[in-house]
Amino acid sequence: MEFEDEIFNDGLPKAYYKHNDNGQYVLETNAPWAEKVSCALIIAGNRANLEEIRKAVLAGQKSPLCYYMEMRQMDPGILAKAAGIAVFRVKRHFRPEIFAKLKPSVLNRYTKALRVTLEELKTVPNI
Amino acid sequence: MTTELAANGKPYVHHHGAHCETAVTSALFRYQGVDISEPMIFGIGSGIFFGYLPFVKLVHLPVTAFRNKPGAVFRKAAKRLGANFVIKTYRDPQQGMDELRQVLKAGHIVGLATNLYWLPYVSERHRHNFGGHNIIVLRETEGGFRISDPTFGDPVDCSADGLERARFVPGPMNPRGFMYYTKSINPHPDLRGACIKGMKDSCSLMLRIPLPIFGVRGMRFLSKKVIKSPDKLGFQEACRHLAGIVRWVEETGTGGAGFRYMYAAFFHEVAGLFGSDELANLSKEMTAIGDNWREFSVTAARIIKQRGKAEETFAKAGGLILKCADREEAFFRNLQKVVRKLKA
Repeated sequence: MEFEDEIFNDGLPKAYYKHNDNGQYVLETNAPWAEKVSCALIIAGNRANLEEIRKAVLAGQKSPLCYYMEMRQMDPGILAKAAGIAVFRVKRHFRPEIFAKLKPSVLNRYTKALRVTLEELKTVPNI
Repeated sequence: MTTELAANGKPYVHHHGAHCETAVTSALFRYQGVDISEPMIFGIGSGIFFGYLPFVKLVHLPVTAFRNKPGAVFRKAAKRLGANFVIKTYRDPQQGMDELRQVLKAGHIVGLATNLYWLPYVSERHRHNFGGHNIIVLRETEGGFRISDPTFGDPVDCSADGLERARFVPGPMNPRGFMYYTKSINPHPDLRGACIKGMKDSCSLMLRIPLPIFGVRGMRFLSKKVIKSPDKLGFQEACRHLAGIVRWVEETGTGGAGFRYMYAAFFHEVAGLFGSDELANLSKEMTAIGDNWREFSVTAARIIKQRGKAEETFAKAGGLILKCADREEAFFRNLQKVVRKLKA
């Protein structure tokens, strides 16, 4: 099965208006092909991006914070607002050596904003 | 279509709809006893719009909006149909949740704007960090809420924690606990007057905003961007941007072709209401414009899949958007003339 069909089998279907032969507009639940293709591309892109960041974290180039931010589809600005920490500090915390020295009070703010536990925030899943 | 019980034991019928906000509004009206369809609400609330917002990014891709900003459709439709309604936002999540519970206890069903990413029942393909998804809360259950999400087929359960999170999470288009419900509704609303107001408003939204990113001008702007994108961003990145646009056209609860089919359905109903042939022709024209948008998305998908490389180019995709812009400009100019002749 192709990737597109795989992700579109999962989850609840949406409705689309369709013009039938009698001139009426009816709802149907078949997703158009173009939507499947572009959705698949975007989801595959997001997954690949996340995987890249995970490898960078394991290689010690980025902090796990960066991984979890990407996982929650945020950017530094949104994360800063959610956690109540200035953007420049959030960006600094992407550096692993600085992230390692953070106090628990700061980490707790991130765990609240990202909905992950403290243990999770310190590491990334190593598959 | 399933029937559920709301907080005060009154039956609520769950209809599957194409778009979240219009379907929610129509459900709120139906619950109060005014039978009004989703396309009708869409037209009366002046839902149709175009805006290309390159500076608002969702998951690294710019926003292309095909409808009015979240919350506007409900407000306009409720005003024009003469409903007594309440709209509220909150700073404090706790207060927002408390008031939601109180309103539910008072026997209302409540529309909420939520963040699509944090709703627990949403699957991966729908999950993006977008704070304008509308749902209806029917009643409080043990440890959660019973929710009717009209974009999906059936009512679902949602935990209180997840709902609070979805309502108050900061992000692009932060909902800030946006909550709305109707207190009472005029049982015999002035449909004709409301439709005329809605159509006039749509015309000015599409034609008269003096900024290059909104309305018909926005489409032309976008088409230029699309044509230039492979040179500026590289093929892969340009494909991602194109896929982003197609997702806004087809996926985000538009009912297909960027709401154009839904708007055509609105004209179909209005033509019956006024008994006007001109409006029926406009409905056909809108369907044709919708087909044009569909053609654009198919072309885009073929570019992404690299089928027929020679003829499916970014220039062709951009040209199709330009064609849509020209046709829509003619359509709304025509509509302006037709609406003037109508009498409420």
